[in-house]
Amino acid sequence: MAGIKNRNVTRRTLLKIGGAITAVPLVGFAAPGVLAQGQTKSPTKVLDFMTNADVAKAEQEGQLVFYCHENEPGTAGIVEGFHKDFPKINTSYVRAQTGALYNKILSERSAGRFDVDVIQLSDLAPAVDFQKKGGYEQYVSPESPAYKAEHLSSPVGSFFWTGVDPAGIAYNKAKVTPSEAPKTWQDILDPRWKGVISCKISASGLQFVQWYALRKLYGPGFWKEFAKQNPHAFDSRVQLFDRLAKGDDKITAIGEYPAYILFKDKGANVEFVAPPDGLVATPLIVGAVSKAPHPEAAKLFVDWAMSKRGQAWYQTNPNLYYGSVRTDAPPMPTGVRLSEFKLLYPADWDDYASQRDVFSKEWNGMLGL
Amino acid sequence: MTVPTVESARTWFSAQKIAGYGAAAFAAVFVLYPVYFLLQAAFDVGDPQVRPPTSYGLDNFSGLFQFPQILLNTVNVSLAATVMALVFGFVMAWILARTNVPGRRLFEQLMAVPYYLTPLLGALAWSLLGSPESGFINQIWRALGGHDHLIDINTGYGIAWVMALFEGSVAFVMIAAVMKSMDPSLEEASQVIGASRLRTMLRITLPLVVPGVLGAAIFVFAEMLGSFAVALVLGLPSRYYVVTTAIYQLVQQYPPKIQTAAAMGVSLFAVMFIMLFLYRRIVMAGSYVTITGKAFRPRVADVGSLRYVLLGVCVLYVFVAVALPLATLLYASVQKIAVAFPVAGNWTLDNFRTAMSMNAVRSALGNSLLLGFGTATIGVVLMGLLAWLIYRSRLPASGLMEYIVMFPQAVPRLVFAFGMMWAWVVFPIPIYGTLWLLLIAYITVFLPLGVRTIAGVMLQIDKSLEECAQMCGASWAFRVRTVTVPLLVPGLVAAWLLLFIASVRELGASILLMGPHSKVITPSIVESWFGTSSELTATLALIQTLVVAIAMIVLVAVTRRVGAQPVD
Repeated sequence: MAGIKNRNVTRRTLLKIGGAITAVPLVGFAAPGVLAQGQTKSPTKVLDFMTNADVAKAEQEGQLVFYCHENEPGTAGIVEGFHKDFPKINTSYVRAQTGALYNKILSERSAGRFDVDVIQLSDLAPAVDFQKKGGYEQYVSPESPAYKAEHLSSPVGSFFWTGVDPAGIAYNKAKVTPSEAPKTWQDILDPRWKGVISCKISASGLQFVQWYALRKLYGPGFWKEFAKQNPHAFDSRVQLFDRLAKGDDKITAIGEYPAYILFKDKGANVEFVAPPDGLVATPLIVGAVSKAPHPEAAKLFVDWAMSKRGQAWYQTNPNLYYGSVRTDAPPMPTGVRLSEFKLLYPADWDDYASQRDVFSKEWNGMLGL
Repeated sequence: MTVPTVESARTWFSAQKIAGYGAAAFAAVFVLYPVYFLLQAAFDVGDPQVRPPTSYGLDNFSGLFQFPQILLNTVNVSLAATVMALVFGFVMAWILARTNVPGRRLFEQLMAVPYYLTPLLGALAWSLLGSPESGFINQIWRALGGHDHLIDINTGYGIAWVMALFEGSVAFVMIAAVMKSMDPSLEEASQVIGASRLRTMLRITLPLVVPGVLGAAIFVFAEMLGSFAVALVLGLPSRYYVVTTAIYQLVQQYPPKIQTAAAMGVSLFAVMFIMLFLYRRIVMAGSYVTITGKAFRPRVADVGSLRYVLLGVCVLYVFVAVALPLATLLYASVQKIAVAFPVAGNWTLDNFRTAMSMNAVRSALGNSLLLGFGTATIGVVLMGLLAWLIYRSRLPASGLMEYIVMFPQAVPRLVFAFGMMWAWVVFPIPIYGTLWLLLIAYITVFLPLGVRTIAGVMLQIDKSLEECAQMCGASWAFRVRTVTVPLLVPGLVAAWLLLFIASVRELGASILLMGPHSKVITPSIVESWFGTSSELTATLALIQTLVVAIAMIVLVAVTRRVGAQPVD
């Protein structure tokens, strides 16, 4: 793997000032109207992390319902990690792409149904929208200080970044020699990849980030050129790498690093390229939902997921391999720290969110939808 | 003999009325309540995230013309699949119903197996076999010196091929029924005056079965229009969308294009409704086809040594539609990365270990079997009552009930599921997200299947038997219990098994209605295809097939033991 440079992550300008200012006083202090009930008492230590949740009460609730964008084994892996640490709390989940999942939860809530405790999305735009709709429980975890302000919601307490999913370019080594392989993002426009390149569908949060970030870097013409490549589009990173490993596609324009590690472990003949302009990256957003049927279990889950313990689980589970944004996160299983990647996030998240319809229309049009 | 009194007549009337109208009310609520929400979404032109809608209009329908390619793809695939299914169905029906090919009974049974295997399993297997680059057939082709690829399953014709293979058994059943009821003396007369077998088939047999085949064609075409699983698995890699897969993609997005999807669904429903209306007209009017009123016994033609060629055709069909897909999935399930020529280190049993640890197998399979049992058991009672109400009672509005009951046949299940999701999420009784919702959904979408199966047997029972009991003073309930039901048992058993299988393999409705505690197996397999490897997905599909096969064997053995003989 070549081309990874040590550079700072692009900041969320939206939160740069306000988030940083508001985060500090909120953590550990009770602010009326903002904090949930559990935060009026001192945090307690459970296992090796701090929580404001009443663990006994959470165990009495006995259930946690998790909605997640992640694929089936990944979603199962997340709740399995929590259940291992809290065996008295049974877990269940629904998985769907972020768009479908968000639509589902909105439909349920508009009908007065509140079945879910915690939700994880792969796109900041619906998370912010959900926050504006009052969908998240305001719960400031005692683990929050381990995160930078830009990795927490503004104001703090709605959601946090449970990880980052970075993506570069990947190729099949049996079909493409290293000298032929694309080195930069512009290289994916080479006509030699016409009909043998893949990407994700418009429901993908990461695909939206890539479209936005590379459009900013190279202009709107970049994706118009890309459309001429007749790319094959898929739902999940595993499908992309499954096809890549079998040679159905020669390269993928959105090779997610976690999937690359997973397929390397399986013995697939694939290689990862980190373009010098940076890896596109999407945050994976976790938050407890308001009016959750199991509120203490929901808070406990958020604390667990934010903790070093939960982050280690996310970062080392083969079906997840998320990069942790905890300030004290250990390296990823490959020995690389997330901070060693040059990551391309949208510089202005509000502008990014406003472009969703433009993206969907362009991307769907490109794919014939 | 007891003479019926005024009191007993009143009891008879009220029992009949309560049972009949009770069943009718259930069916009407189950069917029409979700349809209302579906239509509401299709005409909603306001903010898609605000419900109920703030404004109505036709914009969603006019917007459909932005998708000409998808509409064209849908028609192309459905037409191609229908033609292929009819060819398969006609040839197999002719061979098995009209010739003395060896092993006819066995092959007639085997022709039902693709229906049990499900189109999803077929699509997964043919995806492994026929993908242009990694498909086993193409790998072997290149190893033998061929260039590029021999077949490409990720095309419209590839999708149609798999649909036809697996939905072809429906065409076979319908055409075989027509052929079996055809008077053989007409063919004999043709041969007596010197026509060859081929000429007889083309000039006598074919024209006689044309109306029946046309009816089957329209029915199969309507089925193909609503088909989802095959187009999803095989069409997505090549960006070949049909209406159902486009609907699925549109609602997966953020923000979801639900109104467009609903308009697409309602349009599809309109086309299917017209198709099924035509089908019913043809079936109802089919007097000149084959039924002569003269007593005859269906006879088979001695085709001489040609029968061994025909045997080869039967073997080939069963191989392509049953043996090859199953062998492919088995082969892929024991590999790390499925290839035609694996190296030693590529073999593994990990897929089975992983599958057994997944919710898809542990709880979803159990839920599916439970739902299959519940749907079949409740469905047989409800659909039996409805069949009796529609075809045997003289109650008013029974004709209208027939249309309501057949309604779900005209709506793709994926589309119907939207209506059901919105309908039952606002329903005051909290069944949304539970197995109860899936039970209601299954009973609703399988109403046409169950009612038609039971009605087929019910119409063969002479009314005079019931009337005789009535004249003897038996109440309605007593007559149903002692006359109608015992005579109906084979039909009820067949309906039970059909409903059980249909429920366990259901995809379109389940994929939207599953909750965290109500996962079922077929959508879990599709999710696995989306999010895990094709090897693990193959393993899940195999496990599902194995469990369903075991369940079927046990159920058939039990029904035989209690004395009921399932009909074919």
